[in-house]
Parts: sequence; C-alpha cells; structure tokens
Amino acid sequence: MGQEDVWALNGVTLQVKKGEFVAIMGHSGSGKSTLLNVLGCLDVPTSGRYILDGTPVAGMNRAALARVRNQKIGFVFQSFNLLSRTTARENVELPMLYNPTAPRGKALHDRAEYLLEHVGLGDRMLHTPGQLSGGQQQRVAIARALMNNPPLLLADEPTGNLDSHASQEIMHYFRKLNEQGQTIVMVTHETDIAAYAKRKIVMRDGKVLP
Amino acid sequence: MNGMMIFKVALRALLRNKVRSILTALGIIVGIAAVIAVVAIGEGASTSMKAQISSMGDNMLIVFGGSMKKGGVHGGSGGFQTLMSEDGEAMSRDYPELIKAYTPLVRSGGQAIYQENNWATQIQGVTPTFVAVRKWDVASGVFFTDADLRAGARVCVVGQTIVDSLFNGQDPIGETFRVRNIPFKVLGVLSKKGTTSMGQDQDDIIIMPLTTVKRVLRRGSFNNVDQLLFSIYDMGQMAEAKRAMSDLLRQRHRLGPTVEDDFTIIDMTEISDMLTSVSSMMTILMAVVASISLLVGGIGIMNIMLVSVTERTREIGLRMAIGAAPVAILLQFLTEAAVLSTLGGVLGILLGVGGAYTVGDLNKWPIYVTPISVVISFGFSAFVGIFFGFYPALRASRLNPIDCLRYE
Repeated sequence: MGQEDVWALNGVTLQVKKGEFVAIMGHSGSGKSTLLNVLGCLDVPTSGRYILDGTPVAGMNRAALARVRNQKIGFVFQSFNLLSRTTARENVELPMLYNPTAPRGKALHDRAEYLLEHVGLGDRMLHTPGQLSGGQQQRVAIARALMNNPPLLLADEPTGNLDSHASQEIMHYFRKLNEQGQTIVMVTHETDIAAYAKRKIVMRDGKVLP
Repeated sequence: MNGMMIFKVALRALLRNKVRSILTALGIIVGIAAVIAVVAIGEGASTSMKAQISSMGDNMLIVFGGSMKKGGVHGGSGGFQTLMSEDGEAMSRDYPELIKAYTPLVRSGGQAIYQENNWATQIQGVTPTFVAVRKWDVASGVFFTDADLRAGARVCVVGQTIVDSLFNGQDPIGETFRVRNIPFKVLGVLSKKGTTSMGQDQDDIIIMPLTTVKRVLRRGSFNNVDQLLFSIYDMGQMAEAKRAMSDLLRQRHRLGPTVEDDFTIIDMTEISDMLTSVSSMMTILMAVVASISLLVGGIGIMNIMLVSVTERTREIGLRMAIGAAPVAILLQFLTEAAVLSTLGGVLGILLGVGGAYTVGDLNKWPIYVTPISVVISFGFSAFVGIFFGFYPALRASRLNPIDCLRYE
C-alpha cells in the first residue's frame, strides 16, 4: 500500500492586516492547526507563499525560521508549555535568551517583571508552574509570548484547558491587547470564544470557507 | 545566544533534575576517582621506592671484588681478594670530573656487648668520605676523622637500631662497648635510614675506620678491600664512569683481553630502573582497568542524555517554537553533558584523592597525587561528556518542533 498524499491545506489565500484579531474555526482535521503552523513558521507550505511582516518566509532554512519565530511571533499553546520547576519570571524571559539583540541581566528581569505585572501576576513572579492555577499559567505563557514584542501573536486553543471563568479572563486580556494594537490570530472550535475576535474564518477540508 | 547564556541554560536544566544529574555523573565520578586513586597509590609506591634507592647513596656506583673464574670455577662476588683501596684512589685521581666522592669498604661482623645487652650486627670499615658517598651523616655526635683512620682508633658511629637494641634507646655517645673483647667508643649516631624495599634494616650497623676493622677485627695483613663505593657527579655520567672504571681496573689488575673481569660493577640506577619499571607497569595496568570504568561512565551519560532528550521532547519543541535555532539546542544538550561530566570529573578527583589518602592511611602506603593525573582526568572527563553527549544532542537538534509540541 503506497502513501497517499494528504492536502492538509489547499488553495488557502488569507490576508491578516496589522491590528486585526482573527479567530480561525473549524472541526478537527479541517486544517486549522496546519494553517496555524504555517503562520507560525513551524511548517513551510509545499507550494505557495507566506509573507510575514513584509518578509517572504518560504525557502528559509531551519535556523532562519527560528530567528523569524523568535522576533516576529509569539506563541500561546493550549497546554501552556511552561518549563516545569522554573519560575514564572524565568519562563517569561526564555524567548529573550534566544534573541541575540535582546538586553541581558537586569533589563531582562525588568521586562519580564513588567509583563508579568501587566498580566496581573506581579505577586507570582517567583512561583513555579506547579504553584499556579491553569489560568495563571496561561497568563505566564502570554507574557512569555509578548517578551520579544512580536508583531504577531498566535494562539492555539488558548482556553482549551481552562474552566469558563479563566477562559473569559484570558479572552478579555486578548481583547485588551488587541485594542492596544496587537495583531492576534487564534485557533478555536468554541463559538463563544471565537466571539471575542473581530473577524472569523471557518475552515473545512483544508479550505477557507467564504 | 552566547556561550555564557548557553552555559546558564544548561546549568538550570541540570539543577531542575538534581537527583538524575548526580546519578548520571556517578559513572564518571567513580571512574575518575578510580583512576586518580590507582595512579596516586601506584605513584606513591614508585616514589617511595625511588627515595629508598636514592637513600642508599648519591648516584652510587659499587665495585665488588671477585667473580673470577679459576679452572672453570666461579668464585662469586667477593670470592677473590683482588680489590685494593688504591684502585679507588687511582680512579678518583684519574677521573676527577666523574668522581665526586669515594670510600673503600671492608665488612666484618660480630656480637656487640654493652653491659647486660648483646647484639649481633654487621660492622663496616670505611673512610670519613663515607658520609658524602652514602649521603648518610650523623644525627648526633661526630663522625670519626682522618686522624682516627690513620691511627686505627677504636672508635665508631652506630645506627639507630644499635642504639635501640644495645643501649636500650639511651644516648650512647661517649659509651664504650665490646666486640670480641675489644672495647670501642661511640662517637656518634647515624641518622635513621629505614628498611630497604628488600626488607633489610639499614640502621642495624656499626661503622668504624677502615684501618680499625682490618687490623683489629680481621687481623689481616693484605691490603685488599671488599667494596669500592663511588658517588658520581651526575646521573647521566653513570655509563661513562662504569666504562672508565672497568678499563682502569682491568689495567691495574693486569687482566689480558681474554680474561674475565675479577670485579663486578653495580650501578644503583639499574636497580632503581628495574623496580620502577615494574611498579609503573602495574600502575598502567590498573589505570587501563580504571579507564574502562570511565568508558562505561561515558556510555551511562549517553544513555541518560538520550532518555532526557525523549523525556524533554515538549521542552525542546517549545524552545524551538520560541526561537531556539537547532544549533542552540545542540549546544544546550552538549553543554549539559559536558557540565555533567566535568562536574563529575571534579567530584571524582576529590573522591579519588580522598580515597587514596584514606586507603594509604589504613595500609600505611605512601600516596602521591601527580598533578598531571589530575589534569588528564579532568580533560578526559570533559572529553567523555562531549563525545558521548554529541549524539543525543544532535538528535535533539534535529527534532521537528511541531511533532515535539504534539508529543505526549
């Protein structure tokens, strides 16, 4: 039995403008995660183009993609993906460790502390993920995503592991960020979560529904 | 991501898993400790052996009379009395650039009696230059003089064992004891030399003027001596001195080209080389065994690092997603392995040194930790970490971030 080519995405044309808050919806297998991977420069399309913040991404090698991810994209994951047994502040500082132009030492701490205060965790900076609730962990993850001041914030089911109260908090925060000019693209399958976004895109079988 | 940053990240990752880090390093710790301890014990043995040999004299060359074949019968060392004190004097005169000091030596023995004690010991007759040749001076009192030698005075210096056994440890200087009913006055006590590696007590000895031993104890009329002891200026001149000595003695003893030597020349460095080569062979052998345990330790590091890469797949995925380039991941894991193994190396060195001294203390073995063994062990442990850490690190750096983030 040979391998069958699967077109996870097919003929997707999508433009996200600066300052937009887009929710990508769709059932599992609809290609929304693949689209997010491409947007996040974790995956490259077999054919086609992707221009991020004026830079064509296609054809870049792994190191160059890593640099683009570091400086232009902030990720928020469903399962937070914080380093265990590591303080909130250190988790937030992590992206800057891989940013050669970033400040070091005190300036690094200051930026992390500023962001943690901004997400309302000013009193939890030295707590480890195990000592934080799900909502708090996700807020640490958001602070981390913002660390390098990226033009694009990508969120993959950011409320998937949270109760409804924490979900609302996170979405309020996203909306606040967006009002301050942050471009956000979020994948979700929950309509009430998608309702926080300004624009909705529905996907099915690798295509964007009109 | 600069070097310091990579180091910090690696150190933090190790500290997050303290127990596992220590267990991983254990192989290296034990391996390095074994190498250090084995080499320290081996080097200690060989150093003390060298010290013992050098305590026998200062670059010493000994000539025994004898070993001449007469009618097919070997006389053995000292079997024929052909060696003259003048032979040695001629040697010193002809080769002043080689010979630092010289003394002839005659041997005797007897039962020494002092008050109610008696003690059988060996007696050697020498000249005052004996002090320089054997690097052996009196600890208290004085050595006998050339005047005593000329007069054949009934004086002597004694070894520490004689003090202990004949004089009950009391100060013997000025006291008189008897050998074969002849009284001898003690002028001085020799410094302690200890036991040779062959188990001979060097301090069980009485040293007298050559003339006294010959005239009073041996009652000999011939002018022959048992041994000639020479001290050579430099270790490197040993071979030259032996050749010169042999030529001179053959000429003075009028030995034709077909006649065998009627003397035997022994070079202390030969004995020393033989003993040290045996001990260094043992050291090498043990070090090889210890190195194998180090190799096993290295494989242990690789094993744990591979497990660690699998276990930390999500972490790797996250680091890549937020901008860690493959080379940064590679360096992180490589640094972790190197830090682990070098820390293991340092702990191993401490443990090995401590262990060697403990074992040495318990068994009364001399211990010598060579700086070079510490440096090599440290370098080798770092090398083991990098060598065995490379494959797991490479695997980590080649992972696909999407798969990693999805990994459960």
